[in-house]
Amino acid sequence: MSLKLLFLDELKGFAKSKVMIVLWIGMPLLSFLLQFIDQRALEGMSISLLISIVVSSIGGTLSGIMLSTTIVSERNRHIYELFLIRPVKRCNLLLAKFLAVYLCLVIAISLSLALGLIIDGLTDDLSELYLNSTIESFTIGISSMAITCSIGIFFGVLVSSVPVAAILSVYLGSQLSTLIILPTIFIEVLNPQLLAITLGITLTTIIMGINLFLFSRKQF
Amino acid sequence: MTKNVCIEFKNVSKKYKDLLALNNVSFTIDKGEVFGYIGPNGAGKTTTIKILVGLITEFSGKAYIYGNDIQKDHKDLHKLIGYHPQEAGFQEWRTIDHAFKTFGRLSGLNSDYLENRTQEILKLIGLNDFRYKKIVHLSGGMVQKLRLGQALLHEPEILIMDEPLSGLDPQMRYQFKEIIKKLAKSGITILFSSHILSDVQDIAKTIGILNHGQIMKIGSPEELQTSFHIGNILEIVVEKNTPLCNNLEEISGVASIENFNNNRQLIHLNSDFNIDLIINNLLRKIVEQQCRIRSFKLLRPSLEEVYLKYVGGETT
Repeated sequence: MSLKLLFLDELKGFAKSKVMIVLWIGMPLLSFLLQFIDQRALEGMSISLLISIVVSSIGGTLSGIMLSTTIVSERNRHIYELFLIRPVKRCNLLLAKFLAVYLCLVIAISLSLALGLIIDGLTDDLSELYLNSTIESFTIGISSMAITCSIGIFFGVLVSSVPVAAILSVYLGSQLSTLIILPTIFIEVLNPQLLAITLGITLTTIIMGINLFLFSRKQF
Repeated sequence: MTKNVCIEFKNVSKKYKDLLALNNVSFTIDKGEVFGYIGPNGAGKTTTIKILVGLITEFSGKAYIYGNDIQKDHKDLHKLIGYHPQEAGFQEWRTIDHAFKTFGRLSGLNSDYLENRTQEILKLIGLNDFRYKKIVHLSGGMVQKLRLGQALLHEPEILIMDEPLSGLDPQMRYQFKEIIKKLAKSGITILFSSHILSDVQDIAKTIGILNHGQIMKIGSPEELQTSFHIGNILEIVVEKNTPLCNNLEEISGVASIENFNNNRQLIHLNSDFNIDLIINNLLRKIVEQQCRIRSFKLLRPSLEEVYLKYVGGETT
């Protein structure tokens, strides 16, 4: 019960603080602008594929920063105290934040990608090969975003300084999220999408488990 | 434990790395009692309170609410406790209305009840006109009232307030004290901390003095004053232009005598002697001398002096 309430509360917070609007309008706008790139510079790459790569990497970085800095700042301002004195499970506070940020980003990326696909469709660039690589890139992108989100929460729980948390989550988040594509470079038989999903879920679950354990032992 | 005991701390200690924040703290608070918890900054008041509300879970000793162990049964105790934190913030996008809705629903209140309760609380704390205003635009005093409001939403039986009057201007202080008095009259058990004695002395039924993580003294304001013998002074006033009492220093227990304006004497009593015995002997001597006494009274130390004695003269 408290997880649903907290999740909706987080979404409301994003909506009211305009973060959601920036994501949902800003990222598709970026996709739209990408179509003006000189087609020769793309070397045959479709707009949708380019968009999925660009917005996933921006989304991953953004989610890591957003989560780590928000958690550190809210901890420093004793915001969680008013939640934790109520019948709220500590783990639900973090889970609600994770789910809200992740959902917002997935929606933002999906909107961007949909726009890219429409542009490709209108310009007759949408071949099956491009479509497959776009979907693959999108899958890898949202899997890596899940990892960067959990890394962001990890530093949010552990670090007390907002800039330090931001730097660490950007650096380590991007390093760790590349792990999900690394094995396919060396082992060609591996399916990149399947590997990305499997590693994404596994790593995110492990890191989130550590986060919840650390947060439950925190003394406020 | 008697049935009337609401909160009980038994030898509670808490250490932060090398700092012993609480050292064997023990006290009880009865149901319906207003307990003033005073001590200088860093004495351990907030640590005690955070243990009580479940924000600090790692400590030694035992703490109970209505006989339930706080460490084991805290989930069930949430509904009984309202917590007014010293410095908890609110997310900048929230309005008062939104904060009340979120905290009320998290406390398990249904929508209809929450709406009525929100109106009641806003009226009590005087923030009716600001219901839909963003919290970031409120003054410090209003935010302090909001902290109290959210603590009262679910009608708790116990209200824990950490420095509720700090940072308030005199008018707001008065308003806040009146609200606390009103709540106390309703029978709610209140523990509130302060580093300023005057904040607690006219509200609290019992006062606990904490210093360096240790309880120095607990009692009613009167008990604290009477238990404090050091510096007890007896004032004797005689009719103007009549002789003062003589040779009172011969009585054992009299430390020294000061004479003022030819009709007033201050007799400093030694704390090691029985005060009643000294007074009896003094009266006997005065009667023997047929002094024309107009006033004979024991000057109790002020509560401020008692407090300063126990905290070693530390100011905040």
